Amino acid sequence: MNELALALYASESGTHLVDAPRGVAWAGHLQRFDERSARARLAEKGFRFLGRSDPGFPPLLGAIHDPPAGLFFRGGAEPELLARPAVAVVGARACSGYGATVARGLGRDLAAAGLVVVSGLARGVDAEAHRGALEAGGITVAVLGCGIDRDYPAAHAELARRIAETGLVVSEYAPGVEPAPWRFPARNRIVAGLAAATIVVEARERSGALITADLALEEGREVFAVPGEITSSLSAGTNALLKLGASPLTAATDVLASFGIEPEPPAPRHELLEHLPATADELTRRTGLPAPEIARTLVDLELAGLVSAADGLYRASP
Amino acid sequence: MLARAVTHALVGLDARRVEVEAHVQSGLPSFRIVGLADRACQEARERVRSGIAAAELEFPEGRVTVNLAPAELRKEGSGFDLPIALALLAASRQVPRDRLQGHAAVGELALDGRLRRVGGVLAVAEAARRHGLERILCPRDSAQEATLAGIEPVPVRHLADAVAYLRGEHQPEPVPPPARGETPALADLADVRGQERARRALEIAAAGGHNLLLGGPPGTGKTMLARRLPGILPPLDEEAALEVTRIHSVAGLLPTDQPLLEHPPFRAPHHSASTAAIVGGGPGIRPGEASLAHRGVLLLDELAEFARPSLEALRQPLEDGYVSVARAAGRAVFPARFQLVGTMNLCPCGARGDPLVECTCSAQRLARYRDKLSRALLDRFDLVLAVPRARAEELAAPRAEPSAAVRARVVAARERLRAGAPERVPEADALLSNAVERLPLSGRGRARVARVAGTIAALAAADSVLPEHVAEALAYRAPQELAA
Repeated sequence: MNELALALYASESGTHLVDAPRGVAWAGHLQRFDERSARARLAEKGFRFLGRSDPGFPPLLGAIHDPPAGLFFRGGAEPELLARPAVAVVGARACSGYGATVARGLGRDLAAAGLVVVSGLARGVDAEAHRGALEAGGITVAVLGCGIDRDYPAAHAELARRIAETGLVVSEYAPGVEPAPWRFPARNRIVAGLAAATIVVEARERSGALITADLALEEGREVFAVPGEITSSLSAGTNALLKLGASPLTAATDVLASFGIEPEPPAPRHELLEHLPATADELTRRTGLPAPEIARTLVDLELAGLVSAADGLYRASP
Repeated sequence: MLARAVTHALVGLDARRVEVEAHVQSGLPSFRIVGLADRACQEARERVRSGIAAAELEFPEGRVTVNLAPAELRKEGSGFDLPIALALLAASRQVPRDRLQGHAAVGELALDGRLRRVGGVLAVAEAARRHGLERILCPRDSAQEATLAGIEPVPVRHLADAVAYLRGEHQPEPVPPPARGETPALADLADVRGQERARRALEIAAAGGHNLLLGGPPGTGKTMLARRLPGILPPLDEEAALEVTRIHSVAGLLPTDQPLLEHPPFRAPHHSASTAAIVGGGPGIRPGEASLAHRGVLLLDELAEFARPSLEALRQPLEDGYVSVARAAGRAVFPARFQLVGTMNLCPCGARGDPLVECTCSAQRLARYRDKLSRALLDRFDLVLAVPRARAEELAAPRAEPSAAVRARVVAARERLRAGAPERVPEADALLSNAVERLPLSGRGRARVARVAGTIAALAAADSVLPEHVAEALAYRAPQELAA
């Protein structure tokens, strides 16, 4: 069976196909299919395709029950890097400052420890995880629910370009396929499939991130959930996961331990960190230090990557 | 019989010489005003007729024509009433013609012959002085304003006074020079509890003349803080005060009791204001809020609610310090060097930054809200600050420093900055470069941080910009949510 032909056929017809279907449409497609010109068209744009049966195909993804016929790749890295241990970081698009800080910190720490950070390039948690990994100079992979030549969401075109510089942008859909709501759950199975562990940072009760977590559980992969405030609806999904038995994640070391990576000994903490999360004014009041000095210290800590700020609230990075 | 009076018509902030010619011929009784007079100016006919009667003088019989020369210049407003009446009276030999020619005249007539003040007397008086006239006949209420132009005003309460003066039967009362040195009662910083960071940012903004953006949930005191900025600004110097007064005079906003505006003006247009209301223009080419805030503070409360064209139109004054308004009726340049203060919620529902309420905005809605402010406009804010909700403990904080104490530091820092911006030491430069690498900070962002660091050093009375000054300046940069 020709996997490129199948991948293109599935993209064109908008069907979810694991194996070649029966029927005249497919037979006709196969007859017209010219592998050399199809590959040449991909190469022209610098894209690559790896079939499911290719030895370089990510083994973890090949092992799920409905693997894609193959993956399209865009980016500087070799597809083989997907065989390296990978972690998926997923969560809400409209995340809170807390979710953004956690996602970014996790992306940074996991990538710094040598893990590949996989996510979906969506707004919010996904983008923060990608950015965190890039900040640490690590490898990150974005899985799209549309063709790899599409910039979706458009605001993340620049982020996608930076990801592709050192990592990969991948999709099971052929270049040119438009984003559509029903493709995102299918994309999530690839996110979960590529990773040995999936981390849900923030999710509402009915969230795409929970679909990813479900798919990961179905495949027997490890699922971590970041605990949140019980009163926040943005944490309802993650807290429900914890109730169902997902491993709680309070630091990147929790994940690293499951990969057998020894965490580095913790550095001595700055005393200001003990008061976080807090606003600058609360720190002024709690420490008795003048506002200009608090501002200076917080910037120093921010530059050291120990603190991040969102909407006026400073948090210690995980 | 022909007679002339001289007045000046406003074109933006400038006044151009206008000769009011009155011609009385024999013929059927009629009264016409020609020379591109607008509606208010045409209506002068009725006011002049009644005014002359009220002054117990005679309205000339026959065919009366008044020409406002040059004829191609549009004349607007009611300030022509007095010169028209005087020209008519001179043409009918009721006042001496030669004596009238040495005077400028401006003012609106009431039906009972009294004079009402009009806008732009300062500009008119200045133009009169430039044209070599020594005296200006103006309403009593505007006389102090006219003295600012360095010309001798002849205060007039009633048309009859003006006639008596021109006939040499009445000496004008002396005009006291405008009272000076009084600070208007402004909102005081002592009323703000807690908010140490915002207070500090306000002080830096005042010292360096930086534009300031305050973001935060509703009810955290953003507007309250912004309204306290004028109170910590130093008073205007002579030249600036005259500039500001001229603009406010043209807009007709000058208070009678205080003809010279010595304190930085504060303007806070509502977010429904039109582009013309903000940058100036409209059919009459009026100064807009941006010009009324010249040398002062322009507060745009709920910045994101303003129409985008209005905000974009502010980019020219923010860059060049003036607004140029071109209309079919002419072109005018208004100075508009103001300090911009914006406030906004962090998201459309307003809950962001509030620990007690949860934001319900979707990602798209949030992105759209923040997209309303163009990068180009955000780049003009040197200081961007999140003002989160104060918790109860903060509101119990003691009363803080009053504005006067802060103003003293601001004045001292401005003195130092005037002597020259302090240089950065190499370590401070290194910190700045490191920040550009580590934080989302653009080239423009870097320049902004450098400027703010200079102001902080001046506030600290340091000879050079040290790393600690740069570090503090970095705390007031645009946060990633607004920058990325």
